Amino acid sequence: MAEGDPARCPVDFDHFSPEHAAHWPARWAEMREQCPHAWTERHGGFWVVTRYRDIVAIAQRPEDFSPAKYQDPETGESRGGLAIPELPGLRFIPNEVDPPEWSGYRTFLNRRFSPKAIDVLKGRARQFAAALVDRVIEQGHLDIVDDLASPLPALMMIEIFGFRPDEWRSFSDPFHKMVYTPADAPEFLETMRGLDYFARRVDEEIALRRVEPKDDLLGLLANGEMDGRLLTDEEIQNIAFNLMGGGIDTTTALTSNTLLYLARHPDLRSRLAANPALWPVAREEFLRWVTPIHGLARTAIRDSDVDGWEVRKGDRLLLAYSAGNRDPEIFDDPDAVKIDRFPNKHIAFGAGMHRCLGSFLARMMYETMVTEVLARIPDYAIVEADIQPYETVARVNGWVRIPATFTPGPKVGAVIA
Amino acid sequence: MRVRVKDDVCQGHGMCLLACPELFQLSDEDGHAYLLSEDVPPELEAKVDQAVRGCPEQAIETY
Repeated sequence: MAEGDPARCPVDFDHFSPEHAAHWPARWAEMREQCPHAWTERHGGFWVVTRYRDIVAIAQRPEDFSPAKYQDPETGESRGGLAIPELPGLRFIPNEVDPPEWSGYRTFLNRRFSPKAIDVLKGRARQFAAALVDRVIEQGHLDIVDDLASPLPALMMIEIFGFRPDEWRSFSDPFHKMVYTPADAPEFLETMRGLDYFARRVDEEIALRRVEPKDDLLGLLANGEMDGRLLTDEEIQNIAFNLMGGGIDTTTALTSNTLLYLARHPDLRSRLAANPALWPVAREEFLRWVTPIHGLARTAIRDSDVDGWEVRKGDRLLLAYSAGNRDPEIFDDPDAVKIDRFPNKHIAFGAGMHRCLGSFLARMMYETMVTEVLARIPDYAIVEADIQPYETVARVNGWVRIPATFTPGPKVGAVIA
Repeated sequence: MRVRVKDDVCQGHGMCLLACPELFQLSDEDGHAYLLSEDVPPELEAKVDQAVRGCPEQAIETY
């Protein structure tokens, strides 16, 4: 614990630190017990909220705690938003928008990501997953991240948007790198520039859709009416970045962590391979245990309190979903993976009105990929000496690479097209 | 036993569908839960109880 006003339970905490990346479950447990709402001076100062019930309570009070990003009219600087430290530039829509604006955007997008809409995409996801395994199955080695977990969400997002399938790598790489590069690293600005290509491609396709409408997501963004009007180019960019940013690296982290865990627990892997019906419940447990997005921010928009803890207007708060998901008050033996844990009220997709729009898509892509792997390369073994986790888990709890070897098998003839 | 879903609190986590698909479904519009029946037959009471306890938003009530 650090020095300072004891009422604020000061800590010296940086969610970007390598120390946190290496020891986060123990660190969260310690903070949850000693300082469930702790103040750190890092990144301009913020509260770290680690108890499940506080996280959910704050997420359910958007009138007091807002994820909105807005421009300071005097300085022109971006303030607020979901990231600590604040990210320059784009305002994610609908994630960094308050009601009543928020409900227009969310209603506009919801149908594209509803359970029924995602059900229709299952066949495509299976085809892509089979094709990704086909690309490596004869060679007997692969990288779980680069060959399987990263491409499938990128391919599916591209399918939903309506880009060409052969573009997936140029979109997925910058979003992937943005997630694990610290904000103060020299490569970070370069990575942000890499996102310019995506922005340009959105503009180009939107212009095409305005001439020749299509029923894909780009077509909806170009020609769909929200509250009786078309979207502006800026709104379209902010929505496109929110959806791509939310869709690309998160399911990747969930899939990577799961496949790594199963290789290290072969009995469990065999059990799941033999009983795919176990996946819906097991999937929720891996969501809880991994929690791909470790935490997101809110800003207090008035003085208020949470169960007696006083928060002042303007205070920033990090809702540490990964800490809430290991809270022993809610989950027995929280650090253990119990694939039959149920009920399981995890908050891996967040809580409250800003809860993840793409959760049904994420679950579907994840189940498709892990079942494809367990069916076709069930004996994969991790090259433990060569695995590399993200340097920071502040944004996403994922892996740079997880090489593996396995008994080669036959292709099934699936293609990415 | 009867059950209700508070629609202004539900955020579509979908855990109730996993617990008791006999009574809970998710909307094609926004993924939020709705009920096929508010009456809970005795043989489904345990499943509905799991749905209540499994909802992160505490959006489900029995009475």
